[in-house]
Amino acid sequence: MAIENANGLPPSTPMASDQQPLLEGRTVSKYFGGLAAVNNVDFAVYPGEIVGLIGPNGSGKTTLFDCLSRLQKIDGGKITFKGRDVTRARPYQVARMGLSRTFQSVRVYRKMTVLRNMLISHQWRNTSLLHMLRPSPASTARRAHQLLDFLQIEHLAHEDAGHLSGGQRRLLEIGMALMPDPEILLLDEATSGVNPTLIETIKDRIRTLNQQGKTFLLIEHNINFIADLCSRVYVLNYGEKLAEGTPQEILQNEAVIDAYFGA
Amino acid sequence: MTTAPPADKNGNETGKKARFPSLAPVHSLLAGWAGLALWLLLLLLLALYPYTGVSSLALLVGSQIFVLVTLASNWNLIGGMTGYVDFGHAVFFGVGAYIMAILVTGAPLLISPQWGFWQALPASGAAAALFALLIGLPTLRLKGPYFSIAMLGTLVAMREIVRVSRPITGGGIGLNLPPVLNRIGDYYLMLAIMGLVVSLIWWIQRSEFGQSLIAIREDEVGAEMRGINTTLHKIAAFMIAAFFTGIVGGFWAWQNTFIDPDGVFVETRTVEMVMMSMLGGLGTVWGPPLGAVAIYLLQNLLWSNLFELHLLALGVLLVLIVLFMPEGILGTLGDRSSTSLGRLLARFGRNR
Repeated sequence: MAIENANGLPPSTPMASDQQPLLEGRTVSKYFGGLAAVNNVDFAVYPGEIVGLIGPNGSGKTTLFDCLSRLQKIDGGKITFKGRDVTRARPYQVARMGLSRTFQSVRVYRKMTVLRNMLISHQWRNTSLLHMLRPSPASTARRAHQLLDFLQIEHLAHEDAGHLSGGQRRLLEIGMALMPDPEILLLDEATSGVNPTLIETIKDRIRTLNQQGKTFLLIEHNINFIADLCSRVYVLNYGEKLAEGTPQEILQNEAVIDAYFGA
Repeated sequence: MTTAPPADKNGNETGKKARFPSLAPVHSLLAGWAGLALWLLLLLLLALYPYTGVSSLALLVGSQIFVLVTLASNWNLIGGMTGYVDFGHAVFFGVGAYIMAILVTGAPLLISPQWGFWQALPASGAAAALFALLIGLPTLRLKGPYFSIAMLGTLVAMREIVRVSRPITGGGIGLNLPPVLNRIGDYYLMLAIMGLVVSLIWWIQRSEFGQSLIAIREDEVGAEMRGINTTLHKIAAFMIAAFFTGIVGGFWAWQNTFIDPDGVFVETRTVEMVMMSMLGGLGTVWGPPLGAVAIYLLQNLLWSNLFELHLLALGVLLVLIVLFMPEGILGTLGDRSSTSLGRLLARFGRNR
């Protein structure tokens, strides 16, 4: 299924050393009182990659996500997106630059219909005042329907988002994240609470989108999901980077096995 | 389509929908052009009403109802659509009223000559909007009850500030405005303001701006993360709501010919706005006007029949409303499954 896509580039080879990272964090730190939720983490995602972020509960994955997407102010370090320093940017600004994310506890607008949820999540980068004073244009609606179709929830378009099941809400949220045609998608536990069939759908959709040039960063507890999709994986433990490498390397890493799989 | 969502869930959803085929969800009840057409028709009828040879008292009552409708609709923009429950909205009414009074009486410290009513009226609104900008920048960062309390504090503080700023505001004694009795003019002016405000709310609710406000109400973090400049949108909504509340305040001061701090900076006026919006249906276009009319009529009915108990009766009634139809009249009509009264209505509907 074709999605209107601004950059039809083939996925680039990950980790090419001469390439500039799309999203990069250097010595990112975030403290909650005396607790170092994220401590001196170096982090880079290159264009066209699917990168996984794993770690035990409370290891700082979501906090790192919040820092990268600018929902949390960081206490140290620097974040660059598309070569620009966004350390002090506001969330809507990085969103307009092309960063989309989903949330561990799904955030959809419950009292709005699925379609309206999608419409309002369009790209706000060049939205003029005149546009804002009008109903959503037909082009936005077309894109919304395409994406709903792509995610196989088109039949729910006129249902209130609050009436959807957990899995359907996850799909809707992914659709909302895709609406602005972002360059990178940060998915926070996109498969938790989703039935196995839907997980396959999500996996399949991520692959398709990646082939269309979208970059992904995934927080996941589902190791198979990570192993199937990701080219590189970061492991966090107690807010620090424990390991980094291909899924195969990570699964054989002693320290990771100790920390994560509790051997 | 190899992997469809679970079929039984799907079946439930469509089954629920089919039960009330004629009822759209609350946020789209007459939200389209049909609703606006009906509204304009109503405005036309109201404009013809004085030609039926009514008394000047009827005109006064009419303009009072229009004031309530306008206030409720304005409050709904920030309280119902954006979800910022403003317990101090009467502060903008007061600011508007005082700006009007100060300008038309040419109170001390201001350069005379006095302003005319028509120059002072937009100034009342502008002053209220400016005040909303200054007060909204800090308070709109607060969420939920903290915002409500902060705004209530603002209202009380402004009442005292006005009371002690005697040289400008006349202090506790208040200000007397030039008495100009023009019931028919008041009626038409307020009709025009009400028509404009409610139509504007209708327009906003259809626009992406309005949808973004609802998105902010439903999930502010999500809205911000999806590219909406939530601060800007909230402030804009707040300023629009304050502007027209200020205009109404200015009009009220002019019509009433006397204002004092206890008369305009009153909590009761805010409570009225909240009650009317809630009774009609929070966040809907037509709910607050409906609620305003309903509460006005109800108050009069109770007042004339149960004079000693009318406040008690009104209070009991409101408790019942909140308990059994928290989504208001339009909300209950729109989505019957969401309230106990709605479910009751639905059961009757099925038995029939």
